[in-house]
Amino acid sequence: MTEYKMFEGCTIGNRIPFVEAASRKVFEILNIQTSQAPFSCCPDPTGMKSFDNNAWLTIGARNLSLAEEEDKNIISLCNGCTNTLRGVKHQLKHDSSRKEKVNAELAKIGKEYKGSIDVRHFVDVLKEKSDDIKNAITKQLSNLKVACHPGCHYMRPSEWMESDDPMHPTTLKEIVTISGANIVDYGVEALCCGSAVHNAYEEHGLQILKEKLDAVKKSGADVICVNCPACFQQFDTLQRNVSKKFEKEYNIPILYLTELLALAMGITPDEIGLKFHRIRLKSVIEKLEL
Amino acid sequence: MIDFEFRKQVMDYHMGSNIIKYCYQCSRCTDYCPVSKVTKDFYGTTGYDPRHNILNALLGYKEAIFSSDPLTIWGCTVCDTCDELCPQNIELTEIFTFLKNESITKGEGPDYLYSQAKAIFENAKAIPSQSAIERRRQQLGLPAVATPNVKEIQTLLRNIGSDKKLKEE
Ligand code: SF4
Ligand code: SF4
Repeated sequence: MTEYKMFEGCTIGNRIPFVEAASRKVFEILNIQTSQAPFSCCPDPTGMKSFDNNAWLTIGARNLSLAEEEDKNIISLCNGCTNTLRGVKHQLKHDSSRKEKVNAELAKIGKEYKGSIDVRHFVDVLKEKSDDIKNAITKQLSNLKVACHPGCHYMRPSEWMESDDPMHPTTLKEIVTISGANIVDYGVEALCCGSAVHNAYEEHGLQILKEKLDAVKKSGADVICVNCPACFQQFDTLQRNVSKKFEKEYNIPILYLTELLALAMGITPDEIGLKFHRIRLKSVIEKLEL
Repeated sequence: MIDFEFRKQVMDYHMGSNIIKYCYQCSRCTDYCPVSKVTKDFYGTTGYDPRHNILNALLGYKEAIFSSDPLTIWGCTVCDTCDELCPQNIELTEIFTFLKNESITKGEGPDYLYSQAKAIFENAKAIPSQSAIERRRQQLGLPAVATPNVKEIQTLLRNIGSDKKLKEE
């Protein structure tokens, strides 16, 4: 049985652990085995990479080397972590002088980057488990209308993410469909949530988020389904700020893909801490008669 | 003023970043940029503009990039749409990474990035563990997060010289 090294990432591990709880429960049902490793920050592909690309490469390569020591692939719960770890692999594969420099630094702490393991986004792993998911569904979510937001770094840049169509993604929708839920098309699915620019220019981040929320609202979706903690935070914590700034009511609940699947697999909202969401899921729970 | 050294740095920065010279200013990058969409005025003369950045980087107009509104560099939300849609396959965001790294070294980047780098330097995590969240993890039946080796991360960052870019808060 293949066992993955779990890369939950800083945001899920240390801020929204309920997402990890849902993910681990779903993985257990689907027989996706994981173990921990003392990974550091990935680090952030929009943060640390912008700060110092060399530091980003070196810390990323160190994380990869930890999984290499155990000869296990990484499963990541986060778009950003996946993007970093795959991006580091990509740069070091195609740039031997950078690889030499990085390894010279790693040697000073007794580590070496080889490039021998793969980094998988959990969505891509779930896609391969479609049949198992189908068999594990005990509650069809057929009452639910879902707007899917896969998030930029799950599929872009396609050159090194190698996952989904970069501008017309389908995988998240395919997996949500297995739960029996209905997908609503809202037109701007491949648009960014505005997370990175929000950190530097709050106003512009909120404007981008508003464009997204307006489209979702118009589509009549009950819930937005995401597969990235940065997007989750953007939608869940900043929706109120958008309401306030633009004097318009937004109150659309968010479900992480593994939370949605957990509910469809008969796991209760309490077990996975859905009460910790900022936007209340009351409407969803009532609709699904949970 | 044209800065030839800066031009060379851009061309040499990344594997294949010299293909920036094939930019024919079609503006597809700017047309699909979500930040340009919300910041440009009617005539498109103000606001965030990736096409301008590519042009200025290509021509070596360093001042046009670094001596103007920080939005010029830091407006980018790294959605990677431009990389995907550029007909010349220019990896715009890699060139923007170079510009951002330069801006950080000058001490002109946005505060949150200095704070994030500091958090990583001090805790090996951008978001350090907190006791309230640790308790919540327990309640949810989760194992404790495996503790990263902070000393190793600090050694790496010091040896690279990344620690010198940090700011005192
Ligand atoms: S899309 Fe590419 S070729 Fe067109 S202006 Fe932008 S960088 Fe230049
Ligand atoms: S990566 Fe940056 S410049 Fe390119 S489209 Fe996205 S926000 Fe605009």
